[in-house]
Amino acid sequence: MLTCLDFLRQLNTGSVLLRLALAVLFGGLIGLEREHKRRPAGFRTYMLVCLGAALTMLLSQYEYVMLTTRWASVASELGIRTDVSRFGAQVINGIGFLGAGTIIVTGRQEVKGLTTAAGLWASACMGLAIGAGFYECVFLGFALIFLSIRLLPKIEDIVIEKARNMNIYVEFQSMDDVGEILNRVKAQNVQIYEVELDRGREEKFRNPSAVLYVRLTYKQPHTQILSAISELESVYTIEEI
Amino acid sequence: MLSVFNSLRDVTLLSVLVRMLLAVLCGGAIGIEREYKRRPAGFRTHILICLGASMTTLTSQYLYLNMHYYTDMGRLGAQVIAGVGFIGAGTIIVTRRRRVKGLTTAAGLWVAAIVGLAAGAGFYEGAIFTTLLILLAELLLSKLEYRIMDSTPEVNVYMEYANRSCLESILQLLRDLSIKVTNLEITRSSESGKHNSCAIFTLQLNKRCTVNALLERMTTTEGVVSVEEL
Repeated sequence: MLTCLDFLRQLNTGSVLLRLALAVLFGGLIGLEREHKRRPAGFRTYMLVCLGAALTMLLSQYEYVMLTTRWASVASELGIRTDVSRFGAQVINGIGFLGAGTIIVTGRQEVKGLTTAAGLWASACMGLAIGAGFYECVFLGFALIFLSIRLLPKIEDIVIEKARNMNIYVEFQSMDDVGEILNRVKAQNVQIYEVELDRGREEKFRNPSAVLYVRLTYKQPHTQILSAISELESVYTIEEI
Repeated sequence: MLSVFNSLRDVTLLSVLVRMLLAVLCGGAIGIEREYKRRPAGFRTHILICLGASMTTLTSQYLYLNMHYYTDMGRLGAQVIAGVGFIGAGTIIVTRRRRVKGLTTAAGLWVAAIVGLAAGAGFYEGAIFTTLLILLAELLLSKLEYRIMDSTPEVNVYMEYANRSCLESILQLLRDLSIKVTNLEITRSSESGKHNSCAIFTLQLNKRCTVNALLERMTTTEGVVSVEEL
């Protein structure tokens, strides 16, 4: 461990200020990156979550320090010791709830907001480490989270492009066209393993739609399959989800 | 326990680095496989969860071993198990056909968090072996699953029909062939009568009746507009 930080590992006004500032800075930076991509949780959300988590950890350390100094006589009389991780532990649980709230299921049976939930949760964990004054872990954790958010989408795109599983969303004219669409899909050498149909509503100008879960029998470009289906006149919208 | 890791059992700068990188690697390995299968939780989600979990056990070890605070080392990590459960619960959806989806995704996220806990705690053997087993299970069992799906006697049949009595005669036909209907979904036609009604059957075939023979008999039933195997 770095010995130069030893003074800041203790609880004093300077280290409290530093930790809270670090929480704002690091939470904010991760938030900025997400905000940049127009994700629901942005700059302030991440900052607040991280700051709150750091403060929880500081609070329980403060109580511990008080119990061993100022309140030592009462503590020895009543025989109570406080566990410094009790507060922090509930943060992990609580932010799990908060994250679950950001997850939505779209009309296309797509689950969205998972990465946001995971990111919020990870920055809460980072906030705990900041509050604990575990600077080594904080710097590394921040770097790793930031890099994951920044660089990995590119790798994800490559993986998706090469994947043999595909989820296709189609909107079409009427339910009578389903057979034709399914035939066209099957002609592309793919195996359909699940279909979700939605009849749509005429009075609400909603077209019938379907989500097809397919598996390619061999590797081929996804766009080829999509364009083959879109050639049908009855198909209004087609999208890979 | 493997003695190679003995120098990394304490919380030092090097062990922090190794543990967090291990968490990223394990989370990434589990995640990239899910991403490849186009499941909702992918690469980044798993990495972030695994990394976050590793920070919690690291922090509690740091508080206890390095700072000598009075604390229960398992407390922070224990809440990860519950907290990630909530995030996972968000991925579970009930589809229009009343099927539950996303359970494996939720379970995968949750297990990634546990691997993160082990990595952060310096239980390198546990983290590495578990990741390998998960990958093995995913790769081998999913192959098996697709194979079973190919040879399964269960088929989904999509049918369009003109009127109610037709559906009854189809059900009678299935009963005569002693084919079990495990699931039947009917989407009623709109009031205008412009569209035909459709039904999706999930059927359990028996040896006496092949799919093609069944489809043929269904098509020739009066009132049936079209029959498709899904």
